[in-house]
Amino acid sequence: MFVILVVAQVLVFNHLCLWGYAIPLVFIYFIIKLPVTLNLNWVITLSFLLGLSVDIFSNTPGMNALACTLLSVLRLPVMHLYYPRDEDMTNPEPSMRTLGVGTYLKYSLSVTFIYCLMFFLFESFTFYAWLPMIGRTFASTAVTFLIILAIDSFQARRR
Amino acid sequence: MRNVLNFLLRYSSWIVLAFFVALSCIMLFRRNPYQHHVLLTSANAFSGGVYSAASNVTGYFNLREINEDLQRRTASLEAEVVSLRAQVASYRNAILQDSLAVNPATSRFKFIIANAINNSVSHPYNYVTIDKGSAQGIRPEMGVMDQNGIVGVVNVVSKNYARVISLLNPNFRLSCKVHDGDAFGSLVWDGKNPREAILEELPKHTKFRKGDTIVTSGFSTVFPEGIPVGVVMGRAHGNDDNFFTLRIRLLTDFSALSTVKVISNTDLVEIRKLEAESEADNTADPRQNGQK
Repeated sequence: MFVILVVAQVLVFNHLCLWGYAIPLVFIYFIIKLPVTLNLNWVITLSFLLGLSVDIFSNTPGMNALACTLLSVLRLPVMHLYYPRDEDMTNPEPSMRTLGVGTYLKYSLSVTFIYCLMFFLFESFTFYAWLPMIGRTFASTAVTFLIILAIDSFQARRR
Repeated sequence: MRNVLNFLLRYSSWIVLAFFVALSCIMLFRRNPYQHHVLLTSANAFSGGVYSAASNVTGYFNLREINEDLQRRTASLEAEVVSLRAQVASYRNAILQDSLAVNPATSRFKFIIANAINNSVSHPYNYVTIDKGSAQGIRPEMGVMDQNGIVGVVNVVSKNYARVISLLNPNFRLSCKVHDGDAFGSLVWDGKNPREAILEELPKHTKFRKGDTIVTSGFSTVFPEGIPVGVVMGRAHGNDDNFFTLRIRLLTDFSALSTVKVISNTDLVEIRKLEAESEADNTADPRQNGQK
């Protein structure tokens, strides 16, 4: 999954640039799907490595790595906003079945938005004006979210 | 001791988090692209291999457009050859008259053909990865062009791959002039549109018209003089009123890069050595004066 997502990101999604604005950052699907019960240290390490591998391929040193690392800690608090009791979950992997459709959609949309916001914020530190950055954030969030849903439904059907 | 261990265990996630955040911040804020380590760029052997495998497939997609570009370029070169031939003939007459030698000034440049296996246009800082490296004679600070115009300058080189700072990167400034003029300015990308760039610091007395070609000035060891870069679109709003600022439409189509030429300057080693020596002289001079 890790390898597939990184390869798909750098070979396909990095080259999609819809309306000159939106870049789908699909590889965060990996972080969204990490089991809730997994030790936080492992979650942070895996996320950092994920961000770093995408960084190496796309020549954006540190941007994705930093955003991924921060996202890995924010993931559970965000989920607990919508779904307070994770003891009830039979399967620790967040999905539509374990969390319920509405909660899962809210969870993945928030995570995606937070990620895109962080990424374009880091990217704009030295360079971009604020307005294009906000536009890019929203456009990329929308596109990323749609693609993540597509991957999700595809995976659910296969099982 | 136990307290320390307990503390470490309880806050281990925070420590891991702080460590990775610090690591990524170090990478993030090291802005100068010449400081990037080769392992952390797309020029390393692994990502280079992945990209060249992928470009074996995608390389065919743009062939039709590239073919058209090549045809157009061939036609213009053919026209140039004809006019040069006429010039050479006239020089030959001049040699016969007063033995004037024709000096082929551009013969010190050689070309290495490479494929662009990865490139981006959508980031604020864009790079191109090519599939030739130090083993094929590529060195940092070599210029790169394609059939239409300038692409960028090599900055990180591994054995078989190299990363090029694209013209679409504000770290890269290119000395350019208006075709058949002498005044030169500095071309830089403003990060907005991958088809346009800004020519800054052009002296006020420069004459130009909309549609004039912008070419490299040759005031660097990287690019020979006269390589086409872009076409003047019009005046742009600059931050210095003493100079012209022009908006340039770039001739290179960065979204469809495939085969590129790396420009190897055979005199580069000699020029670098000379510059290093004169620099050493400058720093050594005051001390010698003091001794005298």
